[in-house]
This record gives sequence, C-alpha cells and structure tokens, in this order.
Amino acid sequence: MTSLAPSALITVAAVMVLYLGVLLFIGWRAARRTHGGEDFHLAGRSLGAWAAGISSTASSESGWVTLGAVGMTFTHGVSGLWYAPGCLLGYLVNLYIVAPRLREMSATQGSVTLTDVLTRRWGDPHNVLRTTATAIILVCMMGYVAAQMTAAGKAFSSSLGFEGRGGYLLGVVIGAVVIILVTSLGGFRAVAWTDLFQGLLVAAALIALPLYAVYRLGGFGALVQGLGAIDPHLLSAAGDRTGPVLWGFVIGQLGIGLGYPGMPHVITRYMATRDDRQVQRLQLIAMMWGIVVFYGAGLVGLAGRVMLPELADGEQALMALALRLVHPVLAGLLLAAVISAILSTVSSQLLVAASAVSYDVVEESLGKARDDRRSLILGRWTVALVGLIGIAVALSEVRLVFWFVLFAWSGLGAAFAPLILLALGRRGVNRHGALAAMLTGIGVTVAWKLGRDASTSPQIFARVWWIALLAAAAILAIGHFSRAFARGDVVGVVAATALTELAWLVVQRWGFSSLYELVPAFFAAGLAALVVSALTRE
Amino acid sequence: MDEHSLTLGANLLLWVFPLVLTILVVAERLLDARARGR
Repeated sequence: MTSLAPSALITVAAVMVLYLGVLLFIGWRAARRTHGGEDFHLAGRSLGAWAAGISSTASSESGWVTLGAVGMTFTHGVSGLWYAPGCLLGYLVNLYIVAPRLREMSATQGSVTLTDVLTRRWGDPHNVLRTTATAIILVCMMGYVAAQMTAAGKAFSSSLGFEGRGGYLLGVVIGAVVIILVTSLGGFRAVAWTDLFQGLLVAAALIALPLYAVYRLGGFGALVQGLGAIDPHLLSAAGDRTGPVLWGFVIGQLGIGLGYPGMPHVITRYMATRDDRQVQRLQLIAMMWGIVVFYGAGLVGLAGRVMLPELADGEQALMALALRLVHPVLAGLLLAAVISAILSTVSSQLLVAASAVSYDVVEESLGKARDDRRSLILGRWTVALVGLIGIAVALSEVRLVFWFVLFAWSGLGAAFAPLILLALGRRGVNRHGALAAMLTGIGVTVAWKLGRDASTSPQIFARVWWIALLAAAAILAIGHFSRAFARGDVVGVVAATALTELAWLVVQRWGFSSLYELVPAFFAAGLAALVVSALTRE
Repeated sequence: MDEHSLTLGANLLLWVFPLVLTILVVAERLLDARARGR
C-alpha cells in the first residue's frame, strides 16, 4: 500500500474515513431505536429479511473470505475451491432447517441467546449447561475478537498509509473504537444494519473485481490458458493430491459446513427475524450472497495467480489486484470491502461475547438487572468492557490467545451444531446428553488438532490425554463441591473424557493428517448426546 | 503452445455446482410463492 502515490493514498484514505463515518451514522440511528434489553440483545425480534439474511452470512465469513479464500485458489487453483460447496451446504442446513425452526422455538421460549435456547429446551436447574456453554462461547469468541481486531488493524494501517509498529497500533485502535462505539450504542440492531451495509459492499466487490480482472485478461479462456501454463494441476478439482490425502482434504473442506448451525453470532440472526415470511425471504437472499461471495473470492484468486505471478502471499491478491486495476476511489471501496468482511464479524462476535456475560451470567445465572432499562445499560457497558479487553489483547499480541483462535470455528461448531440440530429435531436428548455433547465437541476438537499436528503447538499441550484427564477431574470436583452435578452430569463428563481420549489415540495411531478436526468432533459430540441421554433417561 | 482445459471435476466444481444450486433455491422460492398465492 505504501507504494501508492501520495495523491492516490489520500483518495483511498478519504474513502476509508467516509466508510467509517457511514458505520458510525448507522450505529447512531440504531441507538435511537434501542430502548431495552431485548432490543439490545435481539433487536426486539424485528429484523426484516435483508438485514437478517445478509447479517447472518456476513458475520459468519470474517476476513477469511476476502483474504483466506482468495489465497486458497491463488495457491491451489480450482482445487482450492472445495471450501465453496462445503460452506454452501452449511448454508443450506442453516437456512432451510435451522432458521425457521429456531425462530419459532426461540419466540415460543422467549429465549435471547443460543445458551438460553439450550437451557430452556432441556431445563437447567443448577446452571450447569448455562455455565458450560457460556465458558465455551467466551473463550472462543474472545480469541476470535482479538484476532479479528489485529487483522483489521493491519488492513487499516496499510490502507491509511500508517507505517511501522505505531501505525499498526493506530490501525487497531481506530477500527476497534468505531466498532465498540457502534455495537455498544446500537446493540444487535446496529450490528445487523452495519452487517447489511458491509455485506453488500463485500458482495459488490466480489462480483465486480473478478469479472473486470477476467475481462482484462482477455476472457475466461485466457484465464484457463494462463493457469494451465503455470501448472496444469491448477485446472483440476484434485490439484496435485491423490489417494487418502485427496479424500481427507475433500471431506475436510466439505466438513467446514458442519460448523454453521453452531455459530452463536450467526444463528441469533434467525431468532431476531420478525416472522416466518421474512425467514422464507432471507433464505434466498443469504444463499445468493453465499454463492456470489464464495465463487467471486475463488475467481479473484485464480485471476490473481495469472495477473500477479510475482505476488508472494496469495491472501493479498484482492488488495493487490484492486490497486493495480482500478481508480483509487474504487480501490478504496474494494479495500473497505476487505475491512468490512473483518469488522462485520468483529461486531457480531463482540455482541455475542458481551451477551454471554451480561445476559447469561449476570442476568440469568446471578439473577441481577432484570429490569429492561438496566439490562440495556448493562449490555452497553459489557460490550465496551469486552471490546477494551479485545483491544488490549490485540495490542499486546498474547500468542496463546491467537493460538486458541485455531480452534474457534471447529470448537464452536462441534460443541453446538449437533446440539442445535438435535434440539430442533426433538430427538431423545436430555440435559446430561447436552452437557456431554458440548464437552465432547471441544475435547475432540482440541485432541484431534493437537494429535495430528503436535509440532506446531505449545509444548505444554504435547500430551493432551493427560490434560484431558486433569480437566475432567477439575470439572467433576467443581460440580461436586458446588452441588450442581446430578449423577447424569457425571456420566456426561466421563463419556466426554473417554471420547476425547479415544480421538487422541485414533489420531496418534493412524494420523489422518488431512482430515479437518470438525468432522470427527461433530459426530463424536452427536454420539455423546444420544448415548448419554439414553444411559441417563429418567 | 499447449492447449489447456478444465478437467471434468473442475467444471463440476467451478460452475455446474453453483449453477444447479442457484436454480434449485430460486425454483424453491418461486414454487413456495406460487403455493402461497393459491
């Protein structure tokens, strides 16, 4: 970015400032319509199809879609596109199975958060489910928020021309402060409206840029010839993979979609939708957004590989193409789209983390601030506090926190997605099975990831089987001494520990190095829910 | 110069899958709207 001419840099920076101004304006408008706790945490269940649909998809994709997905096809060619069917199958399940049922269930229950849905579905007399779910959400979301703030800081500092460590710090602070202000003032409504604005910006960028890039290359035929000349494997769905590695890769990429029903920042959009008719409309809107964005990102990566052979980092292809191909005003908009993808996720995750503290812990578990006005004030201050912690972590770059992010998607997906599907399917699951599923989902995710790739993990986690036993003993001790655990909960913890140890043994013995950890963790969690529920049926 | 082309799998992955999916979700919406109109 710093290689831009000063006049172009000023133009790009001006577009960025305008973009941030729009976000603040939307936040201010939303704040004027936010009057109580349910308004703050769920927009008073009043979202229309466009806001709910685009917000659900934009908040799920993060900077991954404008950076990571682009880098996948830049590096691997067409075979890097396997993430697209994986994600879109997840969209299908979420939009056509989860969304209508979850909206109806949460409206009937009067539930406000994902944790609320689960605890009201199965009952939770001693707050065992609520505490476990809140802890998992907080750990995953805080790591996520800090990592996204770091990414936003880097994108801001480069697009606004800030240099060095000071520039990075300034970039983090600018992006984070705007998002904290918007989210704390306007709550869920502000997050959904800014997501709509940002999601449309991302979609427009990922339609216009790849089409223009392919046009500049001389058409789709020229793109194919260019890729083939670099490496014929770039034109194959398998790439240079064969045998078990290929199947592990394909199953793993398709398995990404298994996580969507468990993402609290995504599925709460469905809970906030006004009525069934809006849910039916949002299904088409969200599916079309997903198809356009995933394939647009893939095409940007393919075009970038041919047009920018000197580019060392494929994840920078969108920004590099924007700066090379279009006028600085449009380049500024495209860079704003990259940052939009990041900030729309930060705001959603920030709100989920804050709701976990202010609603699930303070209001429900501790029974405080049940008054609507107090609930709103509590929510606002919690967003500010959680956001400031996120800034502090992003600025200090605590390595262990960023290491947790590697587990965030698969951990949340495995802990909650099977449970949400079982809750909506009204299968024979009880609260002990639900506890077992959450612990198994997290346990197997960590065991599988560390087991297959131990060399990249901190030394302390080199022997997961031992840590899993200690964690289980700690959970059982806390449950026993707080008198919260029933016999069924003990069965749940033991089952989760056994499945975690089994996953560790399997991956140690047979490897499965290319299989994404979400796949075994998802099925293990579902199995744990059903088996423990059957064993503890009253 | 060698002539290059997408493999069958690449064709399916790159454009057949998104096209079929688009047709299915649009058709579902239209059929649903028609059923409600009756």
